Amino acid sequence: MADPPPPVRVAAWGCITPFGDARSTHAALLGGESALEAVPVLGREGGDPVPLALLGGRTLDETAPPAWLSSVKRLAATVPAGDWGAPGRPVFVTGSNFGVGGLYALRRTGNAAFAEWGAPPTCTERLRLEFGWGPDVSILSHACVSAHLGLLQATRAVHAGIADEALVLSFDFLSPFVSGGFHALKILNSEFPAPYRERAAGSIGLGDGAGFAVLSRGRGDWSLSGQALYNEMHHFTSNRADGSGFAACLEGASAAAGGRRVWFKGHGTGTLEAGRMEVAAASAAFPAAPIVGWKGGLGHTLGSCGLVELAVAIESLRHGRAPGTIGGAGPPMAPAVALESFETAPYGGVVCASNAFGGAHAAFLLSDA
Amino acid sequence: MLERHIQFLVTDDPGEETAAATRERLKGHFPPGATRRMTTLGLLLGSTLSRAEPGEDDGLVYATGYAESCALEGFLDSFPTPSPTLFQTSIHPSAVQQLMIGRQRPVRELMPLSGGPLLAFHALRASLLSPSPRSILCGGEEKGTWLLAHGLASDRTFAFAAALTRERRPGAAGRIGILRDEGKGSLGLPAFFDLLHARRPFDGMIAPGWRLRLEWL
Repeated sequence: MADPPPPVRVAAWGCITPFGDARSTHAALLGGESALEAVPVLGREGGDPVPLALLGGRTLDETAPPAWLSSVKRLAATVPAGDWGAPGRPVFVTGSNFGVGGLYALRRTGNAAFAEWGAPPTCTERLRLEFGWGPDVSILSHACVSAHLGLLQATRAVHAGIADEALVLSFDFLSPFVSGGFHALKILNSEFPAPYRERAAGSIGLGDGAGFAVLSRGRGDWSLSGQALYNEMHHFTSNRADGSGFAACLEGASAAAGGRRVWFKGHGTGTLEAGRMEVAAASAAFPAAPIVGWKGGLGHTLGSCGLVELAVAIESLRHGRAPGTIGGAGPPMAPAVALESFETAPYGGVVCASNAFGGAHAAFLLSDA
Repeated sequence: MLERHIQFLVTDDPGEETAAATRERLKGHFPPGATRRMTTLGLLLGSTLSRAEPGEDDGLVYATGYAESCALEGFLDSFPTPSPTLFQTSIHPSAVQQLMIGRQRPVRELMPLSGGPLLAFHALRASLLSPSPRSILCGGEEKGTWLLAHGLASDRTFAFAAALTRERRPGAAGRIGILRDEGKGSLGLPAFFDLLHARRPFDGMIAPGWRLRLEWL
């Protein structure tokens, strides 16, 4: 296997969720809050109520221009100023949705105004112009590990010396396209998610979210190390039953931890089999680690979850307290699952992991620089 | 300069061939019955990528601007009773997964990129930054129908796969590298494909501040 890249610093970070910015989101999760509400799966066209966490004032139905644009602009305004997108200052935009809600609206209404934001290239180009970025804006999209890929590419660009600093920005906003798709797969249903809890049937919730991180070789108080990916290529929507994909991906973070006691921020969507395998793999790789999952509060922010939850993890380290696992009831899948918040001081960092369709896995260790 | 040897290259330019004809032409590259649910891009990309024989530790980079346009169109047309099959098939990077899942071939790193006029540069940069001794750069598009009318799909169908190595081995086809330089330029995925397909040398700007050198042996 290729060795993970050397550590890289996080010079700036941020996110937006239905709770607000990273600080507000961290505070809400510490308080055990959930932003998930029952919403008709097809928005104004109805359908079964499913748990969705939408940004305040936004409905599931797409507008032209997108209603989420103002939120992304507010987030982008908190990115440190710089010639982003110029040579030596690349931008990596990630996500799994981009403007796909516009495609749904275009097909349902025939209104060509929805087309302008509809595909990853067109949507990203519109954002690039909105933010005044230069042309070097890459797009990475690999379902729910997308943000991790952006972080890894940015890290490599920085370490290769072709970037002084790199910006990774990810955004995912819900629409009937994605809620309808997950509902068709029957993993988004009327039940609210209960990550890492044993119960009769699994379910997930979905959430709006966006985040960013500025990566640097020498600037920043936080460090990413042990970045690793693994793609099982076993099944489109499920994992190998032996959990080997989860374990393979954690090798890099385990080596980076070097025996330090860490805590584990898992993917934890609320599906049962994946939850059990993730808990087993995390417990094997990091035997003393408390395991938490936050998607019961945030919903699954899909391709952006890696950056949204990175921002919350950094806030946890800054404030010395990590939110516990949120959502549902029932016995935890293992004693290591932390249901309550806890002090982070006894730990040498946090392993952040995400998973995706196709048996895709991604993880890194976040720690003091 | 970031550079690698082109150890292996396969391209497929079906021109105006129909999707049915493409399926018939390429079905021999896949197990019996496997092609029934594959997309046109999945067939083309899969047949080229399979010949590069991606291994678990190869760095796999996949470039496509619009991906599975026809599956996406079909999924959108399936509302208000959305198709679960078309949903999963339309998710990026489905074309690579159609091959690799069919063959049960894990791969540690898969970097799927989208983009416009700089997509070739971004995909090359990702390939050349891969720490793996061998990286595989693949890509392609499939021609859309009603999405194309809105400028949201490709107007061409094609696919390629290139194995790039640090060390030159017997049978190498060429050399490819990018280096910092003054000037501006762009190179979209179709134009990059045309260079590969014709084995045409190139020395020019493909992004602001970045030059591509492509040589054939």
